[in-house]
Amino acid sequence: MKVGIISFAHTHALSYAAILRDRSDVECVVTDPDHALRPAGESGGRALAESIGVGYLDTVDELLAWHPDAVIVCSENARHVDDVERAAAAGAHILCEKPLATTRPDAVRIIDACDRAGVSLMTAFPVRFTPQYAELRHRLQSGALGEVLSISGANNGRLPAERAWFTDPVLAGGGAVADHTVHVADLVFGLFPGVDAVKVFAVANRMLHADREAETAGLVSIEYSNGVTAVIDCSWSVPDHYPTWGGLTMRVIAEGGNAELAPFAERVDGFSETDRSPVWLSYGVDLDAAMLDEFLSAVAVGRRPVPDGLDGLRALEVVLAAYESIATGHPASVHQDSPDISSV
Amino acid sequence: MTASTVGLVGAGGIAQVHLPGWLDLGFDVVVHSIDGKARELTDRFGGRAVDSMDELLDAAQIVDVVTPTDTHRLIVERAAAAGKHVVCEKPLALTVADSAAMIAACSRAGVRLFPAHVVRYFHAYTAMQAAVAAGRVGTPAAQRFYRIGSAPKQPWFRDRARSGGLAMDQLIHDFDQARFSAGEVETVYATRTGDEGAGPTTVQAILRHRSGTITHVNGVWGRPGLGFRYGFTVVGPDGLLEHDSLRYPVLQYDGLADADKGYLPPVDPASSPYTAELADFARAIRDGSPARVSAEDALEAVRIATAVNRSIDEHTEIALDTAPSLHAGDDREGER
Repeated sequence: MKVGIISFAHTHALSYAAILRDRSDVECVVTDPDHALRPAGESGGRALAESIGVGYLDTVDELLAWHPDAVIVCSENARHVDDVERAAAAGAHILCEKPLATTRPDAVRIIDACDRAGVSLMTAFPVRFTPQYAELRHRLQSGALGEVLSISGANNGRLPAERAWFTDPVLAGGGAVADHTVHVADLVFGLFPGVDAVKVFAVANRMLHADREAETAGLVSIEYSNGVTAVIDCSWSVPDHYPTWGGLTMRVIAEGGNAELAPFAERVDGFSETDRSPVWLSYGVDLDAAMLDEFLSAVAVGRRPVPDGLDGLRALEVVLAAYESIATGHPASVHQDSPDISSV
Repeated sequence: MTASTVGLVGAGGIAQVHLPGWLDLGFDVVVHSIDGKARELTDRFGGRAVDSMDELLDAAQIVDVVTPTDTHRLIVERAAAAGKHVVCEKPLALTVADSAAMIAACSRAGVRLFPAHVVRYFHAYTAMQAAVAAGRVGTPAAQRFYRIGSAPKQPWFRDRARSGGLAMDQLIHDFDQARFSAGEVETVYATRTGDEGAGPTTVQAILRHRSGTITHVNGVWGRPGLGFRYGFTVVGPDGLLEHDSLRYPVLQYDGLADADKGYLPPVDPASSPYTAELADFARAIRDGSPARVSAEDALEAVRIATAVNRSIDEHTEIALDTAPSLHAGDDREGER
């Protein structure tokens, strides 16, 4: 199978490229034409592709002329829509980095473009592929924990310093709220099929990395149509020199007991005398690889991948409502005509 | 006069901790409780049960009020009028006005008032607060606090008119800690799910501080058997501090039959924060200096908790009422 990657703007592309390089059933080619637009010193382009060991083409047109079966879109969030429309029109199935877009109209255009072209659309929510998340969902749906009351989630990480656009509200659609709310929001949606987010209240500040334009810390409270509430800490609050990038935790509070999920908890701890710093050897399932496996399997047999474009849209709608709440200082309804978040 | 006798009012759950604590510190203790359980308590731990408040006030120089929250003001004011220093279990009262009236009454009577905010004496919190005060994280930007356990069994806890509910009774500790590390709170937004009157219930609260800090507080009164667990994360531009009470146990058992998991955390008697708290109050009475936590701190925690309950009821963000409330002798406070 031929898989193209559009852009190294999102650094998850590096992980995807390395995984695809090692799959014997996949030929992977990257294009990163906007590399030149990124600040000097940021990696990208042909040199980065060669260092990973995957093929490279100079333009999106050349990549699409190569007739990829599937394309992974890893450009800046605001550029997803143009890249998806071009790749879908060329007949490629799409895996789009999250958040799906920075505005609701763009997200709808992405979904429509894939529907029109008859190609699959998947949103990149790798944490969904945590085996223990599947176990938790099964246990909840079997009723073993009774009714769920509330969820406390945290998706904290270092400021993504290797790419400046993450803190450019126009290109990223915001800051930490846009980047880190969606994973936990998607996990919650995944636990409750058919349930909608109804109301969102959010607060944010720029006290960490105060030189950045976008918010770096945020708390998002969500109320769902089944009466469940959730609070998500989406802050880029992991120190720059912390021994790991960050993590994600989710506490599910249910009538029959609580569950604590920590997909990135598995590790060996230690200390390096050479580096004079803690050692943190993460292991566990490679969630990116599991997600790509679902995408490529779905493409191969022509079924709809999960999570799909609508899952991406629903997570985005929570983000849009959070920004509306931050702007107004009041709770915001989750609705279908949320404002353009890049204008907030 | 050197205080040598403590009058313990109430014989419920926290009395079972305070009574041995005072005895350990060398105080004589007399106990009175209108539920008739004082003798049962003194039979178990020591001290002497008395049959009336008058008898208790005759014997004691310090009165320790460990009754349901809605009775605190009456008992504290009576003890103050009798010229006794007062220790009062948290929350100080169910309203800011009652809290202010209690502070004013003690001030008028020339006696001290100490709120038993015991988490101020829990070592993980004191270590964190000292590090924050020393500037080791900078100004906190984002904080998380949680306090999870099975619901208390005494029915009055589940009656919001008596206890203030989960936010007032349990999360008051976390509101106090959040304010201690990040300063005054300006607004709160909160939700509650589950039945506060019975069965599992949980509160989620988001606090905004004047400093710009944002704080998440989560509390659970869960089903019987849910273990007690608390923790925090405090992050600023210069660092991160975090703790979970289950993370670094000094002693663990395995394979035992299920132990009763009460709503109070297990504590090591040798370094019990409850005893340390009472010792700090006794020292403050002896030398006239401040204790680690003041009645004014307790009032501010009540202010946050009442705003959280209002936010739960009104489904919107609530700005804290910051009108001055600590003018001693200002009884109009009670009517505000």
